[in-house]
Amino acid sequence: MTQGIVEQRGNLGIEPTVLKAIYGQMARIRAVDKAIQAGLSSGKFLFTYWPMTGQECIPATIAQLITARDYMVTTYRGIHDQVAKGVDLYGMFAEALGREGGVNKGKGGSPHISDPSSGSMVTTAIVGAGAPIANGLAISAKERGEDRVTIVNFGDGATSIGAMHEAMNLAGAWQLPVIFMCQNNQWGEYTEIPAYTASPNFYGRAEALGFRGVQLDGNDPAAFYAGMQDVIAYVRAGKGPVFVEAHTYRMGPHAGVGDNYNAAKAVLAAAKERAPVEKTRALLIDAGICTEDELTALEAAAKAEVDDAVTRAMASPVTPASETITDVFADVASVPQRGHFPLREAEGAFAGETKMMSFVEAVRDAQAVAMDANPEVFLLGEDVGDPHGGVFGTNKGLQKKHGNRRVRPTPISETAIIGAAIGASIAGMSPIAEIMFVDFLGVCLDQLANHAAKQRYMSGAATHAPMVVRVQLGGGMGGFGAQHSQSLEAWLTHTPGLKVLYPSTPLEAKGMLLSAIDDPDPVVVLESMMLLFTQKQEVPLGDYRIPLGVAKLKREGSDITLISYGWEMLNCLGAAEELAKEGISAEVIDLRSLVPIDYARVLASVTKTGRALVVHAAVEFCGLGAEICSTINEQLWGSLKAPASRLGADYAPMAYSHAIETSQVPNAGAIIARARAIVKGA
Amino acid sequence: MSTILTIPKLEMSMSEGTLAEWMVESGTAVKEGDVIYTLETDKTAREIEAPASGTLIQKVADGETYPVGMEIGEIV
Repeated sequence: MTQGIVEQRGNLGIEPTVLKAIYGQMARIRAVDKAIQAGLSSGKFLFTYWPMTGQECIPATIAQLITARDYMVTTYRGIHDQVAKGVDLYGMFAEALGREGGVNKGKGGSPHISDPSSGSMVTTAIVGAGAPIANGLAISAKERGEDRVTIVNFGDGATSIGAMHEAMNLAGAWQLPVIFMCQNNQWGEYTEIPAYTASPNFYGRAEALGFRGVQLDGNDPAAFYAGMQDVIAYVRAGKGPVFVEAHTYRMGPHAGVGDNYNAAKAVLAAAKERAPVEKTRALLIDAGICTEDELTALEAAAKAEVDDAVTRAMASPVTPASETITDVFADVASVPQRGHFPLREAEGAFAGETKMMSFVEAVRDAQAVAMDANPEVFLLGEDVGDPHGGVFGTNKGLQKKHGNRRVRPTPISETAIIGAAIGASIAGMSPIAEIMFVDFLGVCLDQLANHAAKQRYMSGAATHAPMVVRVQLGGGMGGFGAQHSQSLEAWLTHTPGLKVLYPSTPLEAKGMLLSAIDDPDPVVVLESMMLLFTQKQEVPLGDYRIPLGVAKLKREGSDITLISYGWEMLNCLGAAEELAKEGISAEVIDLRSLVPIDYARVLASVTKTGRALVVHAAVEFCGLGAEICSTINEQLWGSLKAPASRLGADYAPMAYSHAIETSQVPNAGAIIARARAIVKGA
Repeated sequence: MSTILTIPKLEMSMSEGTLAEWMVESGTAVKEGDVIYTLETDKTAREIEAPASGTLIQKVADGETYPVGMEIGEIV
């Protein structure tokens, strides 16, 4: 700090022009807050509001220290953050009202604003879930050599949830340029400190994780400005993350309008005494920086800006039902729709040099090709680094070649892994996240299902998460037990916004993974241990693609179509061989891609054979087989020789006992018996 | 342009509210921001301000409970 600035700051501790600018943002936030509360109170607006009244100073001050280039992540209680970050007020009000003119086409609403033009990248309604995503945005800035900082806002209540711990730990380990901005308003929804925590403070947790934490008065613009100036400079200079605990007080209830009726009256009254908007206004006048008239004019201008935004937002049409399936994926044709079965072009024959590869080698080769071609492709996951190259060796040699910033071994932290991939992909990078076993989806499902899958839709395609998640499955191997042997693809296929691939051969594993890495949507690729090491095949060298949504005829037949995917393909092909000896000609279709699904080729085959059996290792009840059979039966009723049928695992957790596991999941014998019964009409 | 008055949703769990008392008689001129009625919920009582200036037309009686979103009056 130069001597000159100190003199200018004088007794105020802040330059007068900066203090006035902070108040200008506070006035805009206050005008927005009042307009929302008035609109809701009169019945003019009908939406849920999570008031931030009392917390205006924090974003109003930060706004003086950052630009639209800096990234922000915030929460549903983040209207003040949006206003100060520079989200257009018309677009913001229209979004809150669910209108076409909304910054996200009215498809996300105020809890899901995403506006890359102002740097407001992600707004989440899941407490604590923004922090893992902020890490990913910060990774992109760091790897690209940009001096952007990422600020993730959350309340004190979010410090209790696991995602926050995972994100803080990863940011510390990787020294990411991210600021964890804890707006400590003393309340976690309807529960007050210390009812929900015995922690004496929150900033101390950063020190425990090996990085800097600071505590600031978030209601005092001069002190907060000075503190944040230092913090932002520190993070921008690449010195690592900082956790800021900014003290403030929430005047309103968790949701709705009016006062925080849970607060003790005396406490609320005392908090109002130190509320930043009124205090800053008085300071500007007392210090002779502004006159009463100037401030009145400034407030009137803020109200006029808000009134104009509200008037125009109310005139914007309600986003129509015709928008329902747009923005689920980049292309509407990938969305499963009743009666709509596009025939996508299949891959041609592959020419050129080949090499004998296992499934593992094919996955490794696909990643090697993608990483050579695009410096923004990077890999993260548990143990992915050399010499192991992942617990199954799918990445062996990649860290040695590309270094530990493009092949990033992570803490045992699935939520942090998926969140980092989401954030980096939103910024335009191409991350590949490896989740060691599909069974661990449960510990990161919020990031995958609530964030990766929905970002394109909730943002009205303003942003999206074009990432790949590679997941291994242990089912069929025997001895892994109930938490390492499941087939959970139905969790994924039942989540709109995720594409799901399950290749069964090395050649397809490589060609499909390369397509997935370039796909504009989040793609989960399932890799079964039953396939990783069991087969070898000539696989083309270099880059080639197998398109998503194209099933493959693996064996021609005329009496019945066996439809399957993944490792059950081994059983289906074996069963078809045995059935042929009995004089039953089974056609076998490998779906390969579960979403988008290729009903065109499935229906064409069953039209020919008149019979269908869908086989999967997943539990039969509510499985993908039920969905496929229902579509076949509805579409081909009248021309079928037998109703389409499904064969999946018994409704039970996967057993450790070898005798149970080998019988609870369809084996070749079970497939043969069922196919025989269908063909013979038994 | 007239402004329709409806029972507001003041919080997530609110499904109805009691229009405790009209503070302005029907047919009277009001200014934006004037208190026009008091609304009671199970959590709080709140004075509701006119969202626009004009003449208030009451369409329902006070002292009754109405569902959120129901039209209770108009400012013309």
